[in-house]
Amino acid sequence: MRIRIDHIAKIEGHASFTADIVRGDIKGARIKIEEGARLFEGILRGRKDEELPEIASRICGVCPVVHNLTGFKALENAYNIQLDETAIVLRKLMMLGQLINSHALHLFFFSLADFFGYKTDLQLINAYPESTHDAVKVRDVGNKIVEIIGGRSIHPLTPSLGGLRKAPDPGKLKELLNDLRNNLELAIKLGDLFLNLKYPEFYRETSYVSLSNSGEYAIYDGDVKVGKLNLKPEEFLLLVKEFQGPDMVAKRTKFAGNTYMVGALARLHNNSDKLNPEAKKLLEKSGMKFPLYNPFYNILAQAIEVVHCFEESIKLLELLLTGEIKLSEPKITNRTGEGAGAIEAPRGTLFYSVKAKEGVIEDLNIITPTAQNLANLEADLEEFEHIEGFKNIKREERAEKIKMLIRAYDPCVTCSVH
Amino acid sequence: MNKEPKKPVIAILSLTCCEGCQVAIFDLGERFLEFLTKVNIGDFRLAEELPDVKHYDIAIVEGTAITKEQLRRLKIVRKKSKILIALGACACVGGPQEIKDYRGDKNRLLRYVYPNIRGIDNPNVKSVKELVKVDFEIPGCPINKDEFFSVINKILKGEKAEIEQKPVCEECPRKNKNCLLLLGKPCLGAISLAGCGAPCPANNFPCDGCRGPRKKINLEAMKKALKYKAHLHDNEIEMIMERFGEKNEIIKNSIKK
Repeated sequence: MRIRIDHIAKIEGHASFTADIVRGDIKGARIKIEEGARLFEGILRGRKDEELPEIASRICGVCPVVHNLTGFKALENAYNIQLDETAIVLRKLMMLGQLINSHALHLFFFSLADFFGYKTDLQLINAYPESTHDAVKVRDVGNKIVEIIGGRSIHPLTPSLGGLRKAPDPGKLKELLNDLRNNLELAIKLGDLFLNLKYPEFYRETSYVSLSNSGEYAIYDGDVKVGKLNLKPEEFLLLVKEFQGPDMVAKRTKFAGNTYMVGALARLHNNSDKLNPEAKKLLEKSGMKFPLYNPFYNILAQAIEVVHCFEESIKLLELLLTGEIKLSEPKITNRTGEGAGAIEAPRGTLFYSVKAKEGVIEDLNIITPTAQNLANLEADLEEFEHIEGFKNIKREERAEKIKMLIRAYDPCVTCSVH
Repeated sequence: MNKEPKKPVIAILSLTCCEGCQVAIFDLGERFLEFLTKVNIGDFRLAEELPDVKHYDIAIVEGTAITKEQLRRLKIVRKKSKILIALGACACVGGPQEIKDYRGDKNRLLRYVYPNIRGIDNPNVKSVKELVKVDFEIPGCPINKDEFFSVINKILKGEKAEIEQKPVCEECPRKNKNCLLLLGKPCLGAISLAGCGAPCPANNFPCDGCRGPRKKINLEAMKKALKYKAHLHDNEIEMIMERFGEKNEIIKNSIKK
């Protein structure tokens, strides 16, 4: 029997799914990506280095900040440019805003309806008006962080090679700090909503990959943690293998021959001891114990991260507002070199590696979180007959469960084809 | 008894793009929720998965049709819609994916990105109006969500919506003082269509014309200014005008001497 799901709704971008069920066993599970190729890596060759982050942010309108900043980071590593602390803190804040707005969108508007069997968000909005307004408010705060520091919430403008081209207005940062403090409760309430959902039982071991560092819950900076290994991004990129099957417009990746998962659940798995207090409380209340090999919990992990990001933003803003916000002119003496950059995007670790000569891009490779997750998601779907009750449910409901798992990964199809 | 007027049926369709313009619609927040109460949703894949309907009063299309399937869908959507709105730089002028068409052999770029190119569509990128009839364009990368909200409300009320033909310079906080072009930065504000509120120059970022050109621009004067004020070579000027695929449109809109 063939399972076929055309146009999976409520994910970022277009994809469909096919598989065969042979005597109750799922075979050949495949996510087919239905996006056109835009050839970003190709079109950026021969262009000026500073155009890279600007144009590459257009890979994704849900997570443009992380594409922009990872592009800059790769160039800064290639050129050995050091950033001052203020610029790093401001970029970290932009990333926290990015995670809040993207997670809030996915949690509330993409994934939540699945738990109630709603086919449209309108049903959800009508049934849960208060939660809807809370989710919108939480998302607004995330957007505001990016807008105030980045100059605009989609496709930010202020980041530049070696720092930022404009410091934010301290008055607006104070306003932002108030907004964050006033809405932390709402973020926690949203977290509680996701805590009380029933996540389907499913188990398949995998390895979790994310950035990790000793000082904080790694988002902007860190080594790549793969099991017991801690690798520099450039070392990881030497070991990870990108592959492209026939007719695939989105590549997949494997590490040492195995699929792996990136994203909120991977980060929580690797770094939960670094969570801020309220997020940690939520985690404890959830009863999640690591290792936890159930990708549906990626949803809950995102909800916990939203709370962490609120707390972290408050912490960083308080620190920033103790002194004058001044950016120093970056020292750029060389524009030839090779380097890699990695940042935790909402959906997992994003990698850019770049080679430039005298300020012109010669080579570029981008590995997005969804490209990394696709092989793991397909491997999960191959085992999907083991989800509780699969054999007894109707064909239609099977498709619903499959879509629910796909959405739990929060795939960004647009990113995966870039 | 008065019958309540029928709500207009709206569809939001996304072709190949970053989907940032749809995100901008979500970013309207409370205003977006209010908007949802005034319309019936015919198709909005980002928020629902109900079966499709036969007729749309307004279809909003973002992105460019790159795959054959997207082209087919675009044509179907045109047929079933009363009004079709092209949303954002990709739909209006082609978007960054059009850069490849200006850079020589586009299949060389395809081979650079993919080891197996079989089955991957790589046509010349076309804006929506080059493929089907478009009734209104809301430009920008991303769109200005406030402008979108005002335009869509006017269209819903049956009023005439219009984007005023004026340059970005008129909205620029740096005009008269600290003009980026006069400071030697490659700013296209003078030929580009305003309505964005000039967030780029306000953040020290030169305008690169994501909203496309105004009508009847003096391209030669712009090129001269970029050459002498910003010290750019011809090729560098071309490359800036390609960023959002707007170069063809710029040439089309320039006055012939």
